[in-house]
Amino acid sequence: MQANIAVDVKDIVKTYGTKVAVDGLTFSFYEGQFVGLLGPNGAGKTTTINMLTGLMKPTSGSVLYFSRDFLKNSIEAKSYIGVVPQANNLDRDLTAYENLYQHGLLYKIPKKTVKTKISKLLDFAGLVEYRDKLVKTFSGGTKRRLVIIRALLHEPKILFLDEPTVGLDPQIRRDIWDFIIKINQSHKTTILMTTHYIEEAERLCERVMIINNGKLIADGSPDDLKSTVGAYVLEIYTMERIEELFFDDRQSAVDTLKRCTKPCKVREATLEDVFLKITGRRIDA
Amino acid sequence: MLNGLQAVLYRDINIFMRKAKKQIIASSISPLLYLIAFGWGFGSHVQVGDIAYTSFLIPGLITMASLNQSFGINGEINISRFYFHTFDEYLIAPVSTYEIVLGEVIYGMMRGFLGAFIVFMYALIFNVKINFSLLFIIAIVLHTFMFSSLGVALAMFVRDHASQQSLNTFVITPMIFLCGTFFPIEKLPVIFKAIIHLLPLTYSTSLIRSTLTGTHLYYWHFLMLIVFCAVFFTLAIYSLKKVEV
Repeated sequence: MQANIAVDVKDIVKTYGTKVAVDGLTFSFYEGQFVGLLGPNGAGKTTTINMLTGLMKPTSGSVLYFSRDFLKNSIEAKSYIGVVPQANNLDRDLTAYENLYQHGLLYKIPKKTVKTKISKLLDFAGLVEYRDKLVKTFSGGTKRRLVIIRALLHEPKILFLDEPTVGLDPQIRRDIWDFIIKINQSHKTTILMTTHYIEEAERLCERVMIINNGKLIADGSPDDLKSTVGAYVLEIYTMERIEELFFDDRQSAVDTLKRCTKPCKVREATLEDVFLKITGRRIDA
Repeated sequence: MLNGLQAVLYRDINIFMRKAKKQIIASSISPLLYLIAFGWGFGSHVQVGDIAYTSFLIPGLITMASLNQSFGINGEINISRFYFHTFDEYLIAPVSTYEIVLGEVIYGMMRGFLGAFIVFMYALIFNVKINFSLLFIIAIVLHTFMFSSLGVALAMFVRDHASQQSLNTFVITPMIFLCGTFFPIEKLPVIFKAIIHLLPLTYSTSLIRSTLTGTHLYYWHFLMLIVFCAVFFTLAIYSLKKVEV
């Protein structure tokens, strides 16, 4: 059985004066999919999320959730999407519980059930001990978890994660990754995540859309995308730069390495190589 | 019912209560300074019409204090929009715009009543005679509703902290000094009077003072306040609908 199309975006454009932030994006994906929107800073990722969640109005184009127009039925549609913004926009002077309770009010969760839902989520995120503490005393990772479970409180069908681990320590980042995977698997939530971390997109997403300058430049599973450049890379360290040669299998890469006179090494290809090959520059540059 | 409105008030009131002591003390300072400077300082021998200057001043200070408090939500909204981005939660939530505006306006009115209450306490302490009436309550309700709505509306136009400051410099402070808060506007030149009669504060000052001191009440001023309330509230809803992050 074919799954429902959860998100259907047609030719959305966002311009500020003469600057084009998002330049005609078209994509759709199915219920339950975990999709990544990968691109360098300033590529238009956050603008895209903002348009998909009601924080900005597209200059043109349409957004459909389960075949219903988002802009025309925004109040209804907003009730089944959840948003984790880039900044931890929690009320610092409220406790974890109060932040969640306010969210429950905004999403019309019946008062009878909201308390149990909050307790379950605090437990799910390992935040039970923080329930009645003020948010301003929390660490970055704790705040992040709270923002994520806040977005889950109304059990959204589609979850938007905007750079979920930006600014976190590597250890905490891994914790958050495990947590996000748990959400996708246990809640069967459809997820669209933006990121500029290659590893994050590769580890979490079953499908990655790469955007640059507001345009979609590649779309597919991480493995398919990497196979377009070659699965293995031979890096040759010359005086000026690192030269990269692509190979479809490890053996031919190693064979070339053996004949190489300069310092060099073989590694697996990453999405960075895909981006580099299409745009001629690196994602973090 | 009205979950959006409940959510806004739940947040605002909880946060206010956490800082209530500090807020109340801070809000008590400026009316007291005005009372000392204008009331005691040079007002003790001055009469305005039949009434003592201090009795004239107290209603003006009630108007000013409640205006400052009600309009002050403008600054709080700005902080939540630009610094903590908590306001974004309202923009992505499945609630209608008017519930958000109404929630913020009701909170602004509560702060306005608190401002008025503080000056009332001073009136008691300084033994200044004022009459408390139903018409006064109507006047202060309209007055705080009007300036809370204006606060919400302008908060959506403001882009940063500097333009927030200029709102106070160019709109609020001139109004407070010109619209009859500290002296009767009848004595001003005609051209000034014309401008002053376009400003909403003129009507709330007139009503609040008349109802408290028992001087002549212009009932059509109520009508003016209702018109300003409707215009500012509509403007607030319109500007919130337009707002983007």
